[in-house]
Amino acid sequence: MSGNGGHMGPGGAGPGGHRPGGPGPFGPEGEHEDFQLEQMEQETEEMLRVRYLNKDNAVFRRTGTGFLSLKVGEEFYSRVQVVRMFPFSDKDRFISVRTAEERSKEIGIVEDLKDVDGETAKMLEEQLTLHYFTPIIEKVLRIKDEYGFAYWNVVTSHGACSFTIRMGGNSVIHLSETRILIMDIDENRFEIPDVNRLTPKERKKLDLFL
Amino acid sequence: MILLYELSEENKDLCRLGEGEEIYYCLPLDIDLQGDYRADSYTVMTNRRILVLEEGELTRDYSLEECDSIHSEPRIACGILYVEKGGEEILLGRYTARHLTRYSYLSRGMVLLKRGRTERVVSHEYEKTCPRCGRGLPDVRECPHCTGRQAGFFKDFLGMIRPQKGRMAVILFLMLLSTAIGLLNPQVQRFLVDDLLTARDKNYGDALPCLAIMLVLSLGAIVVNVSKNYLCSKMGSYISEDLRSRVFGKIQELSLSYINDRSPGRLMNRVTRDTRRIKDFCSEVFCNLFTVVISFVFVLIYMLFMNWKLAILAFVFVPVSIGLSVAWRKKIHRRFHMQGIKSDKVMSRLQDVISGMAVVKSYGQEVREAEQFFEAADENAEVERGNETFFAVFFPMLTFLLGLGTYLVTFFGGRAALNGVMTPGELLQFVTYAGMLYGYVGQLSNLPRHLMNLVTSMERISDIMNQEPAIRDGAESMDMEIQGEVEFRHASFGYKSYQPVLEDINLQVSKGEMIGLVGASGTGKSTMINLIMHLYEVDDGAILVDGMDIKNISLEKFHSQIGVVLQENFLFAGTIFNNIRYAKQDATYEEVVRAAKMANAHDFICQTPDGYNTYVGEHGYNLSGGERQRIAIARAILSNPRLLILDEATASLDTESEYLIQKALGRLTEGRTTFAIAHRLSTLKDADRLVVIDGHHIAEVGSHEELMDKKGIYYGLVQAQLQMQG
Repeated sequence: MSGNGGHMGPGGAGPGGHRPGGPGPFGPEGEHEDFQLEQMEQETEEMLRVRYLNKDNAVFRRTGTGFLSLKVGEEFYSRVQVVRMFPFSDKDRFISVRTAEERSKEIGIVEDLKDVDGETAKMLEEQLTLHYFTPIIEKVLRIKDEYGFAYWNVVTSHGACSFTIRMGGNSVIHLSETRILIMDIDENRFEIPDVNRLTPKERKKLDLFL
Repeated sequence: MILLYELSEENKDLCRLGEGEEIYYCLPLDIDLQGDYRADSYTVMTNRRILVLEEGELTRDYSLEECDSIHSEPRIACGILYVEKGGEEILLGRYTARHLTRYSYLSRGMVLLKRGRTERVVSHEYEKTCPRCGRGLPDVRECPHCTGRQAGFFKDFLGMIRPQKGRMAVILFLMLLSTAIGLLNPQVQRFLVDDLLTARDKNYGDALPCLAIMLVLSLGAIVVNVSKNYLCSKMGSYISEDLRSRVFGKIQELSLSYINDRSPGRLMNRVTRDTRRIKDFCSEVFCNLFTVVISFVFVLIYMLFMNWKLAILAFVFVPVSIGLSVAWRKKIHRRFHMQGIKSDKVMSRLQDVISGMAVVKSYGQEVREAEQFFEAADENAEVERGNETFFAVFFPMLTFLLGLGTYLVTFFGGRAALNGVMTPGELLQFVTYAGMLYGYVGQLSNLPRHLMNLVTSMERISDIMNQEPAIRDGAESMDMEIQGEVEFRHASFGYKSYQPVLEDINLQVSKGEMIGLVGASGTGKSTMINLIMHLYEVDDGAILVDGMDIKNISLEKFHSQIGVVLQENFLFAGTIFNNIRYAKQDATYEEVVRAAKMANAHDFICQTPDGYNTYVGEHGYNLSGGERQRIAIARAILSNPRLLILDEATASLDTESEYLIQKALGRLTEGRTTFAIAHRLSTLKDADRLVVIDGHHIAEVGSHEELMDKKGIYYGLVQAQLQMQG
């Protein structure tokens, strides 16, 4: 399931990593140990570092196969993923740019999509769109509850849709007084950014979940 | 779970399947790259190609040969699919969370097809919604609504109560009796009114026997109903007890892979909650509601006989009152659901603060927490107040509305009585019946919900009962005294068929050898051990013990010759003595003490207040990790196994007990074929050979010295650990 994106940054294969070639039998011994220790320390230090990416130091490119590559300084990553640090509270700021593998590492942070040029911002947004899928519910047509499930019929920002949620439990999450996130039985997400913007009739259908 | 969606003819044409080409997997790509919903778009995998169909067009067409692999990557509430081809990653499409699990099977499917294998990857996971009616499925394979289960369900239910035939007959008789008494009482009242009270020559003395009969009937009704309820709940508990032990037996029989696919909570629910629901159904619904059904029918017939016009008039109100009570219940349900949510909120707030009191206090957040709690409590109180008001205002109104039919009957009946068509006694009787009729309606409208609960619970239970255990003794299985030679022959395995954990493992272990299994976590060391213990069946290849395929050795006999010591050893509720004796129930005191001594456990056992009789397990005497460990070792020593499994047996122990345990383990492993996993590599120094597992394969095999000289993965791991300690 993991993709092996591009080159690793400096640091190699992680704490369990190994470099064949040092001398010596089993046991603590000079040179080699120092080298490994140094490498591990360097890695931990690197995890502490916060590197901001902006139009001066980072060059993003579309790969032409649907993904995004990144060149930052001497490092090149043939594919990166982008993740929002605050997807609910501030979705256009603090974007973490990460390596593509499953246990990804942070390459850098785009503090604000305004910090990069327009075309880059667009590329990043494309990748974010690919990463997150939370249709906004614009219209509630019908909600029917029956035997422990509720069946929703809605119009979303991505088109008409019906889905099923489990009654009780944590299917409806209140992000604030008026903003709710709905999780269906397949763990699809739907958002109502402001329940007060729905018609009274629609709100009444939602009554049970508010 | 469906992995092969049906394609329309047009779409099939687009695929232009060649001779001998067959569609293996077909999954929807139900959103586009921007996330807009779309229909009619699919990923198709045949035995030769990967195709993407998008809204009536073939947009991608790759041969399996040119692709290295296919990947489904879960994203947030969606997923993307890409292929790796000539060092490039090419995005194919996107799907909602609905298909996430399905897509995860695709890469395994491709691995098999590329190897030229023809079997299809099958998903044993259940659909979340019924593909036919779209209803949510409560963790069952087949939709209780649209399969023929509802018919089969009555058969199941009858099968369940068959052993209770005798009791059932008595219950039915009592039901009829209770109905008869219910019908008879108004009849006596009529007699009382017509023939005694309104008669010309009133003789109140004659009323006494009448009243006595009424008293007897009322008392009789109580007796009948009590004994009926008693018998019903008795029947319910017998049935559920029987079911419970059958379900439990079945769960034990099923292989670990079935158990591990489901959470323990869910399985426990099936043993306890679902069987309880069936019991509740028997004792409450079956007993009362069916009496109501019978009474309802009889009352109606009786009324029709008395005055069919008036009866029809009364009956007209039945659908109205059904509608009213259903609407009312929905309303109530909504309100109380809301109240439930609010009071949950208060409770969880409370729990949070109390369990996190140290944090709250040390950060000085008492005031803020109090404010938040008051807020939640206020909201709860608000909703409760509203509900109480609602009840106080609307309940009498509802009662009035439901009673409307009675008023109507009284009005028309009263006119009939005044006109002399009906006697006053008949009117009284009729009105009483009408009241009974409406009373039953309210209860009857609950029936569908109760039935649905029952069907769902029965479905869940029969789901387990119909499960065939994946690992069971075959016809040619035989008891075998094993010597301890073990061989892996091209063994491959994954817990989920699409995620291989071990691939093509080859290893020969001779009798008495100690093998240390090494590798990063999650590489499959424990999996190898699970395979040796035959808790899972290999997907491919074979495991041989003394040259015999493990599948052909009878399970019970095989397991009785294996000893296991794990990191977290499970002690059953019971005494230390019984825990040590677990695998050899007939061991004598002396044997147990000797085993405990060998395990360095004897001394601490003697220091516990009750010695070997000390009660351990939940709520029992608290043993330290090292002490539990030594009891487990004593257990293993006592059973004198030919094959020994040590899974992180010395992790998380303090130095002193580790030394004692090392000693004990040394005694235990002597002369026995042993497989040991340890994170701390120093604990494997006694191993004859070390097997390093990496990337689903055996990467290195050899003694400690050999592997250190090789400077491969093992060397790296040792170095890393030394530095951690340094």
